[in-house]
Amino acid sequence: MKKSIVRAVLMLGAALAVLPALSIAAQAPAAPAAGAPGLRYEIWVELDPAGQMLAGKEEIVWTNPTKDTVPDMLLHLYWNAFKNEASAFMREAAAETMFGGSAAPEDEGWGWVDVTDIRLADGTDLKPAFQFVTPDGPDHPDDQTVARVLFPVPVRPGESVHLRIEFRSKVPRTVARSGYYRNSFFIGQWFPKPGVYEEGKGWNCHAYHQNSEFFADFADFTVHITVPRGYVVGSSGKAVDTRTDESAGTATTTFRQSMVHDFAWMTDPRYLRIERDFVADREVTPQEYKETADLLGLPPDEVRLPDVKMILLIAPEHRSQIERHFNALRAALKYYGLWYGPYPYETVTMVDPPFRTGSGGMEYPTLFTAGTQVLTSRDVQSPEMVIIHEFGHGYWYGLAANNEFEAAWLDEGFNTYSTTRVMAKAFGPGAFGFRFNGLPLDWFVRVPKVFDYETNRVAAINTVRYDPVTAWSWEFYNRGSYGANVYMRAATVLSTLENLLGEPVWSRIMRTYHMRYRFRHPTEADFAGVVNEIAGKDMTWFFDELLEETRAFDYGVAALTSVEVPVQVRGVFDRNGAREEWTEKKIEDLEAAEAKAPDEGRGKALYRTTVVLRRFGEARLAGDAQVEVLIRFKDGTTETRTWDGRDRWTRLVIVSPVEAESAQVDPRGIWLIDENLANNSRSADGLRRNVVKLMTQLLFTVQNILHFFGSWS
Amino acid sequence: MGVFKAIFSGMGTTFRKPRLLIILYAVNLVFAGLVALPFLFIVQGELGHSLYGLNVQPVDLNWIGEAVLKYQAALPGLAAGLVAAGVVYTVLHIFLNGGIVGRLLDKEGPASLAGFVADCGRYFGRYVRLFLVSLVFLVLTLGVFMSLVSALFKPLSKAAITEWLPLILSNLHLLIALLLLSVVHMTVDYARIAVAVDGERKVLKALRHALTFLKTRFFRAWAVYLLIVVLTVAGTIVFYVLFGRLGAPSVAQVAAGLACMQIYIVFRIWVRTLFVAAQAEFYKAHPY
Ligand SMILES: [Zn+2]
Repeated sequence: MKKSIVRAVLMLGAALAVLPALSIAAQAPAAPAAGAPGLRYEIWVELDPAGQMLAGKEEIVWTNPTKDTVPDMLLHLYWNAFKNEASAFMREAAAETMFGGSAAPEDEGWGWVDVTDIRLADGTDLKPAFQFVTPDGPDHPDDQTVARVLFPVPVRPGESVHLRIEFRSKVPRTVARSGYYRNSFFIGQWFPKPGVYEEGKGWNCHAYHQNSEFFADFADFTVHITVPRGYVVGSSGKAVDTRTDESAGTATTTFRQSMVHDFAWMTDPRYLRIERDFVADREVTPQEYKETADLLGLPPDEVRLPDVKMILLIAPEHRSQIERHFNALRAALKYYGLWYGPYPYETVTMVDPPFRTGSGGMEYPTLFTAGTQVLTSRDVQSPEMVIIHEFGHGYWYGLAANNEFEAAWLDEGFNTYSTTRVMAKAFGPGAFGFRFNGLPLDWFVRVPKVFDYETNRVAAINTVRYDPVTAWSWEFYNRGSYGANVYMRAATVLSTLENLLGEPVWSRIMRTYHMRYRFRHPTEADFAGVVNEIAGKDMTWFFDELLEETRAFDYGVAALTSVEVPVQVRGVFDRNGAREEWTEKKIEDLEAAEAKAPDEGRGKALYRTTVVLRRFGEARLAGDAQVEVLIRFKDGTTETRTWDGRDRWTRLVIVSPVEAESAQVDPRGIWLIDENLANNSRSADGLRRNVVKLMTQLLFTVQNILHFFGSWS
Repeated sequence: MGVFKAIFSGMGTTFRKPRLLIILYAVNLVFAGLVALPFLFIVQGELGHSLYGLNVQPVDLNWIGEAVLKYQAALPGLAAGLVAAGVVYTVLHIFLNGGIVGRLLDKEGPASLAGFVADCGRYFGRYVRLFLVSLVFLVLTLGVFMSLVSALFKPLSKAAITEWLPLILSNLHLLIALLLLSVVHMTVDYARIAVAVDGERKVLKALRHALTFLKTRFFRAWAVYLLIVVLTVAGTIVFYVLFGRLGAPSVAQVAAGLACMQIYIVFRIWVRTLFVAAQAEFYKAHPY
């Protein structure tokens, strides 16, 4: 999900047909996750637009992939988060310290899901053994987003359980991600859905929290969606059949998708549906394939991309932006594919979020929601960035399917990092999307262009003291800390690691990690393991310092001086068996003599340059990492020194025939996470044209503001 | 009197009073200098000796992010200081308004500092009261009228099918607010002029003079006001175009930029005096 404005959905085609693509992962055992083929859903759902109700029937076949004997099942009932103000979601929203307040839906449009019937395939009624539970502790006792059903006979290892569920859901008037407005519907997290069974630990099935996303097992889905005839439907998976019922005035489309862990859909009678093909050989040049293969150390065939069917559902008022949407999606398919691995599904569906459904900038397997506005600016890469980000979740969340409740940074951080990289590669820096009363601000004034990694860094340095990046989603200080840490600080740390290890090593790390954990549920330890393995050294300290802790990273130059080494120092000296005394006067005379005859005496003057380096932050380098210091001298020569950075400070002394002009730590800009770049360097002279210019503009700004005050008095 | 005649005649008056402009500019510059000083110290302290200063941009996200982090404890204090400075400057400007109106009405006399200050003192009490009355007037007109407009627009916006309608309505709302604000501003300007021209000692009566004056020739008066607004916008565009053309900072470019910005401030101050002069011409042509 893209924090704040926009959301996206990914729609994927039948994976089985593309499964040969998986064999590309020669470097890694990309075996499907435990349980992947062992979970099957078939769902029949009918939308009543007038009553905003869903009537659903669901068959779940779950095969116990573990060595445990499992007595029960925990099911997510996510929409109960929108049922009343006692849910964990609503209570957390109300207690939020940043942009807090009631998240109650407009017009009292509460949403919920009722399991009206649950039984085994043999007809055994499980309703008496069905109850709401609060797996995340007693804080929100009335939360109903998780239910437990007890089986009459425990499921032994390798055995299956076949559940038949009937449910009725009220679509909420948009609170988060799902909702309706008029006759537009965005339907996500809508069906009763098992948690993930973890061997030895039981069901991992958290409540729907305000700051958290989702976690589920890979499964095969068949979903039959019934809507009024004439409604356009977009969905995860591939449409395999459509039937209309003339008497009921409805149309039912069947969608299928294998190897995905969620399924979302939308419908709106006004929408345009456009299909395009991503033709790999048109998008990627042979040269690009070769460079990628060389960089990753893979045979060229292994980096070859498949063709993909791109489907766009877009509001008619955004018609003029259709090409912008496809261009961005093509860039995403290309670079995610080249860098991390080929896209393994037949289709990807991109949905322009329906007006006022709050569904923008959100990811689902093979479907994502983008987000744009009727008035846009060329320089603000707004639909592009969201599209790339939400498509990218198809990789980080969709394929490498980490637990978003417990380690959100593994998808949001990785994906923010990846988005930043694709954006820089495909589109360059963009202007901030500031708006004035709904109008793009850059229609009126020049808005500076920045790279996303710069924005990420600014957010990162301002949130480091609140929470570790690795905290559980709902345990962050506030929404701001969750967003900035999980998305931007994590991305900045990854960019830093990339700089530190260098592109060749880094590219292989990311590729290996992705392909090895495709269709699985990786953890932070899995990623650290790949880093250590490919880098060939223990980088655990890096994760500890920058992700697990709330330590600011800041090395800097505290002082720089260059003074002439005196010809002689004062005092009494024993030299060659004799005692001689050097007074101020005697030294001055010597200096005067040297000045007259510079060829005699010691020759040219010498300067002692002292550079004091400090570790201003708490974070500390370890392993083989060093702080690099570049000293520039006034004759244009340079000298590079290193410091291990373990202590709080160090002093470097260099004696040379010329004065130093400046000293700079991290001259190659590796440590993007450094919270103070201004103190990274220190120069002898002290007035800079750009600084003076900045000052004149500051003065001008104040003059304008004052004049404005004056004009209205 | 015609709209353009009022404006040209007002321009003539302002051009005969260069000293008025100098006084007002000096006040703005000195006051702004004092307010900006702490920020200038921060900038020089942080960047003066840093290589970062070589490439720092006027709106430099990276550095602003660092500065926010570093000075976050001081931010509320700085913000409060800015608001306080704004309030002080407002009061100061109410004082200066006496001099502006007084010197511009004294068409031929010089805008000497002594005469200026004397006028400032003469009208200060009444202008303070007028300012307070204008706030009430503003709340009454803008507050009441705009909530009516909002009440009208809200159900329309709520029922919108696409984002177009709310977008159009919200900009319409803004436009109406701005136009209304211009009317209130203009009315208060005329009340100020009435205080000086009619020698009116009661501000409410002066306001009534202004309203009576505007009743019969509202659109012409508004045209004078709006034309000067157009002039301001045009001048602002010219400034930003010229300023935007300045290249990478050399000493000359920095100096040219500074000159450009200061000329623009002088222009804005001149426009302010033109408002008063043109409206005074217009008012005097139709005595109460
Ligand atoms: Zn995201």
